[in-house]
Amino acid sequence: MTGTHVTTAAPVSPPAASADHDLVVCQDLVKHFPVTGGFFGRELGRVRAVDGVNLSIRPGETLGLVGESGCGKSTLGRVILRLIEPTAGRVLFEGQDILRYTGRQMRALRRQMQIIFQDPYSSLNPRKTVASIVGEPLAIHKIGTRRERERQVLQLLDVVGLSREHLRRYPHEFSGGQRQRIGIARALALNPKLVVADEPVSALDLSIQAQVINLLEDLQREFHLTYLFIAHDLSVIEHIANRVAVMYLGKIVELAPTERLFSQPLHPYTEALLSAVPIVDPRTKKRRIILEGDVPSPISPPPGCSFHTRCPYAMPECRQVSPPLVEVAPGHQVACLLRYDWRQHVKGGRAA
Amino acid sequence: MAKSLLSIEELRTHFFTDEGVVRAVDGVSVSLDEGDTLGLVGESGCGKTMTALSILRLVPSPPGRIVGGRISFDGRDLLNLPEPARRKIRGNEISMIFQEPMTSLNPVFRVGDQIAEAVRLHQKVGKRAAWDRTVEMLQKVGIPAPERRAREYPHQLSGGMRQRVMIAMALSCNPRLMSADEPTTALDVTIQAQILDLIERLKDEIGMSVILITHNLGIVAETARHVAVMYAGKIVEYADVQTLFGNPQHPYTIGLLRSLPRRGASARRERLEVIPGLVPSLQALPPGCKFNPRCKEVIAQCREEEPELKPIEPGHLVRCLRR
Repeated sequence: MTGTHVTTAAPVSPPAASADHDLVVCQDLVKHFPVTGGFFGRELGRVRAVDGVNLSIRPGETLGLVGESGCGKSTLGRVILRLIEPTAGRVLFEGQDILRYTGRQMRALRRQMQIIFQDPYSSLNPRKTVASIVGEPLAIHKIGTRRERERQVLQLLDVVGLSREHLRRYPHEFSGGQRQRIGIARALALNPKLVVADEPVSALDLSIQAQVINLLEDLQREFHLTYLFIAHDLSVIEHIANRVAVMYLGKIVELAPTERLFSQPLHPYTEALLSAVPIVDPRTKKRRIILEGDVPSPISPPPGCSFHTRCPYAMPECRQVSPPLVEVAPGHQVACLLRYDWRQHVKGGRAA
Repeated sequence: MAKSLLSIEELRTHFFTDEGVVRAVDGVSVSLDEGDTLGLVGESGCGKTMTALSILRLVPSPPGRIVGGRISFDGRDLLNLPEPARRKIRGNEISMIFQEPMTSLNPVFRVGDQIAEAVRLHQKVGKRAAWDRTVEMLQKVGIPAPERRAREYPHQLSGGMRQRVMIAMALSCNPRLMSADEPTTALDVTIQAQILDLIERLKDEIGMSVILITHNLGIVAETARHVAVMYAGKIVEYADVQTLFGNPQHPYTIGLLRSLPRRGASARRERLEVIPGLVPSLQALPPGCKFNPRCKEVIAQCREEEPELKPIEPGHLVRCLRR
C-alpha cells in the first residue's frame, strides 16, 4: 500500500438519484438473524449478516460479489430477491420498492429475478425429471399450453447444451456440470432480467468450470441478462465481472470496476485477499500478505472498522470510527479511514 | 543428489463393486526424494486420494483392494509389511491430513487429548510429556493461547483452527512424510494462505517430505517442487513444477492450464478455452488412451493403443502417443 491519503471531497452517501437507471438499488439494507437459546427461546444475540449495504446493479452488467464464508454475500443475494426478508432498508427493482409489494405482486416480479445455486446436487428435486424441473416455473406462472411449455423446455435445454434425450431423466443420472446446466435452464425459463448466481461454478471440476462460465457469458449476451455473481474465487470474478464489490462482515468495504479493483485495490482487506490467491505460474514469486487470525464472529463484530482486528495498517481511530463507503475516484468506493479524510465523512468526527 | 524416500511402482488399487471393477488407481509409478514436495493434481475421481490412501493401506476394504504394485518407504516394502510394523509407521513416520478437519477430529474428545494420544502411542512417553508436546505443537502451528485451546472441543474452534489442530497432530511425531489431501479446500483464501505458509515453514523445520493432493493448480504452482497430473487412475504427466507449468506436454495438462481464467486486464471477458466432454466415469472408460474422447490431438491410434508414461526429456514424463 502506498499510503496516499485521498482527501478530495466526495459525496458522503452513494447517489440514490441514479435509481432510475439502475436495475437494482439497495439502500441501507440490513439483515440480522436472531440467535435464540435457553428454555424460552430468548434472543441471545444477532448475527449481523448484512449490516447496512448500499449497492446498485446496472442493467446488463455482471456485478461480482466476493468475500469469505460468513461475510453475508449469499444472504445479500437472497435479500435482494426477497427470498429472505430484510430487517431494515430498501430494495428497489427498476425503481420500485419491492419490499412493499404484496404476495401477488411479488409472485409476478419473480419472473424477472431468478437464482442459480452453488450445489447442483441439492438444488434439484431428485424425484422429478428434467422436463418437470425446467418446466416448473412455466407451469407455476401458467405460461402457454402444456404443449407450448414442452417445446419451450426443449429450447431451453438446447440453449444450455443438453438434448431431447435428457428430458425424461432424473438429476442423479447427470454429472455435476450437467446438473448445473439444468439449474441454469430452470433459472432462464421465465426470461428473467436479473439472475443471482450464487457460487455457480465452485462445486464443479476444473475442466467443467470453463464450460459453465462460457455458457453463462453466452446467455448473458443472448438474453441481455444482468448478473449478480457471488463467488469466492477471485480469478473467476476477474474474468466475468464488470464491477466487483468486496464484502467483509456484512458490509461492502470496496467497490470498483474490475480492472481497477484488481490493479489498484484500496482497502487493506481487498489487498490481502488478492495477494492470498495462489498464482498458476511457478516463476512469479509474489509477496503474500498473511492476515493474522480468523474472521471475527458476525454476532459481535469489532467496534469501529470491523477489519481493524486483522488489518496490518490499523490506526487508533480505526477502533472507534466505523468507516463509511466513500467514492474516492470515479466509480471506486472504499470504506477505509486511510483512504480519505474521514472527519469530512463522519458526522461529529465520531460514529458508531 | 537427494536420497529417495518413497517409491511407488505400478500401484493398482481396484474397487470391486456390484457394477464391476473400478480401477481407481491403475498403474501409478512415482517417487519422492527426501525434503521434496510432490503435487498430485487431477479432477474428482482421477485416483489422487486413493493413491495416497494406498501408501498408508487406508483404502476402505471391502470393496477396495490393492491388487498390484510395490510401495517402498525408506527401503521398506510397505505393502508386505505385517500390520503391527505398519502401524508403527502410520501416523508416526508417515502422517496424513484431510480436507475436512471437522470429520477427522473426534467431536467428543478435547483436541489436546487427541493429539496427546498420538504422541503417547508412537513416542512411548508419559502423560505429562505428551501433554507438553501437544501444547508445544499447538503453539508451533500458530494457535493463540495453546494451553486453553488444547482443553477445548473441536466444535469450539473455527475451520482454520481445526485444520491447524490436524496439522499439529500430523506433525507431533516428526514424520518423514506427510500427505495432505486438499488441506485448504474447505478454507477461505486468507486462511488458506496461512495454512500453506505454515506447512511450508514446518516442512523446512522438520525436514519432511510432502505429498500435496489438490485440484487447485495455483496452490501446486506455489508449493510443489514436482508435479504428477492424474487422469482416470493414471499419471499422464510428471515433471518439475517449472517444466510442467512452462512447457506442459500432455493435451490434458495443456487443456487444464488453458481453461483457467487468466489474470490481468487483457484476458478479461475473453472466451475460456474448454476441454470438451465430461470427466470420465471409471466404470465406462474408453479403450486406448483414456483421454482420447476429449483430446484435441486425437488420432486413430489413440483409440486402440494405450500409451505408456515415457520420458520426453530427462525428468519429464508424458503418457501420450503424439509426443
